[in-house]
Amino acid sequence: MQKNDQADKFIIPIGPQHPALKEPGHFEFTVDGEIVTGATIRLGYVHRGIEKATESRTWVQNLYLLERVCGICSHIHATAYCLGVERLAGLSVPPRAQAIRELVVELERIHSHMLWLGVAAHEAGFDTLFMYSWRDRETVMDILEGLTGNRVHYSANILGGVKIDVDAEQTKTILQGVDFLEKRTHHYLDVVTTDSAFVQRTAGIAVMSKAVAEHFGAVGPTARASGVTQDIRIDAPYLAYEDFPVEIVLDTAGDLKARFVVRVQELFQSYQVIRAILDKLPAGELAVTMPRRIKENETISRVEAPRGELFYYLKSNGTDKPERIKIRTPSICNFGTVPALAAGHQLADMPMILAGIDPCFSCNDRMVTIHRPADDSQTWTWEMLRQYGISYYREKER
Amino acid sequence: MDRETTISQSLESARILLAPCTQQLLTPEPGRMDISLATADLLPAVAALHLNGWGRLVAVTGLDLGVNEGDLEVLYHFCAGAAIVTLRVRVPKADAAIPTICSLIPAASFYERELGEMFGITVVGTPNPDRLFLPDDWPAGVYPLRKDFVVPEIPG
Amino acid sequence: MSINLEKTFQDALEQVKTWARTNSPWLIHFNSGSCNGCDIEILATLTPRYDLERFGVKLQGSPRHADILICTGPVTRQARERLLRVYEQMPEPKYVVAVGSCAISGGVFQGCYNVIGHIDQVIPVDAYVPGCPPRPEAIIDGVIKLLKSLEAQEQTA
Repeated sequence: MQKNDQADKFIIPIGPQHPALKEPGHFEFTVDGEIVTGATIRLGYVHRGIEKATESRTWVQNLYLLERVCGICSHIHATAYCLGVERLAGLSVPPRAQAIRELVVELERIHSHMLWLGVAAHEAGFDTLFMYSWRDRETVMDILEGLTGNRVHYSANILGGVKIDVDAEQTKTILQGVDFLEKRTHHYLDVVTTDSAFVQRTAGIAVMSKAVAEHFGAVGPTARASGVTQDIRIDAPYLAYEDFPVEIVLDTAGDLKARFVVRVQELFQSYQVIRAILDKLPAGELAVTMPRRIKENETISRVEAPRGELFYYLKSNGTDKPERIKIRTPSICNFGTVPALAAGHQLADMPMILAGIDPCFSCNDRMVTIHRPADDSQTWTWEMLRQYGISYYREKER
Repeated sequence: MDRETTISQSLESARILLAPCTQQLLTPEPGRMDISLATADLLPAVAALHLNGWGRLVAVTGLDLGVNEGDLEVLYHFCAGAAIVTLRVRVPKADAAIPTICSLIPAASFYERELGEMFGITVVGTPNPDRLFLPDDWPAGVYPLRKDFVVPEIPG
Repeated sequence: MSINLEKTFQDALEQVKTWARTNSPWLIHFNSGSCNGCDIEILATLTPRYDLERFGVKLQGSPRHADILICTGPVTRQARERLLRVYEQMPEPKYVVAVGSCAISGGVFQGCYNVIGHIDQVIPVDAYVPGCPPRPEAIIDGVIKLLKSLEAQEQTA
């Protein structure tokens, strides 16, 4: 350690209320001039205690609670939960219900990725792209609302199936919407790969090699942008992904630009799957009856959320309430990469780097915070700063 | 090669890797294998999977086996493709301590801190044992995911 | 007949202030434990389809510049202090809009051990927008209703 290591350290606190992201998180960046040398994150501002709360609610009540773990990826949480509970109860869900679930999952992925594209562009100061992508996102919001009756918490799932159906008219609307979005997505791909001002903010920034991504356990598009072949939809198909498969989208560059490209290209996969489902939607029932109580058992449910692998562990105890539900969200895996990614970059790049992993605090904060020991930080009094200034310039003059 | 074969081959190779540590082996569902371990065997077992490149650590679950039971259980879930191996370690509540696996898998740090805060399990040697995901004013010695911590039921 | 010049000036100044405040309120948004649902809908009100900015509304990063605090979510133990601090940093007069079921009553998070309650248990609230989450139209309506009531209040005052 250098002799004046402490004296050179300057910590910039940001948050929890801050203009960059719409969710509370507290960041401390250690900087040397404009260059970030370290980062710590303090979360927990939206920790509510959902895992404990599930133990005092019934299986059915929990469906609506867990849907509200996160407002952006609500359907995938409900789906992971339903798949687990149905396995515990030994139900076999009709194929039509599984296909409709997959349809909503992919529509949700479109809304989530477009939302992210806008927010990430906003962090780069590129508000034009933010406004365009959010304007076009309203198309998929309209589709979701027409299908389920709500724009955000769709409640399409019930235990044992779905409560919505897709008729011919809705099919037409969805296909029209998807055609429009596909056209726009080609434009976005063009923008994020060729707009010279934007590419300067993303190409070669926050590069993560495949080895580093695996070391820190990155998941989802963040990992796939570093060349990690991991997608639960392909590795361990659930819902109707056997019949309506997606192809993995990979990039090997591992920088911010790659994360943009991977997410935008995943949109094309979603469009293709939605068309395939609507083309060959299986006929049949929408739901089967679910028992109130579930005998003692345990299971694991893994799904691919828009941000990466979502993991549910469920344990039943013979009553109408769960014994334990453990939720491991994708954001917590990706947060681990931030301190490694931030080091060596300009402070001004931090919002972009953070947005690049598509963090979701409400998912995350049910459980964990990251913090460095308190003695690592330091408060400078005015007198100390003055003395430091004097001695610094004296040194320089010599 | 179809998926079923791949899964059973993965599980078989995990079974061989873990054989020296295994106390009890269960296959609760297709594609899953649960292996009970002694606390002392945890690190060798994790090393056997990790150093041989078998899958990756996906999550660590803490369990309270009940108010009247004296034990907590920690579950380490490893996944390779669709195959899931769960390492199960039981620790007594009175002396709840497990060794850290961060030396092998740094990403486990979050999960270990969660065990400490939510279940009161001491993770020996974990790089950052700070109790800080709960609010700053959370009372010491109260572990919300233990079964003796009761939250009020909601009506309905 | 004598004219109280000072009073006339003060009245005129008040009128200008009311006019400015109701025609260009600046907003700050704070999430004290929300699931994001309301947050993304608030963001959606700013985007071309809904365009809240046509009412002169601007979403602002600093509490020191803001007239209206938009709150989402139940209040968690950890966020309570921060919510209070943000509220205290805002200049007078200041108004609070609680957006969403959780901000109004705690919603589905009632009874969670880290949730201490809803917004008006911590700071005074002037307008409530119900829904889980409320539609962007409802959020706009809530903000506009608040502005209308301010106008009326200040005219009678």
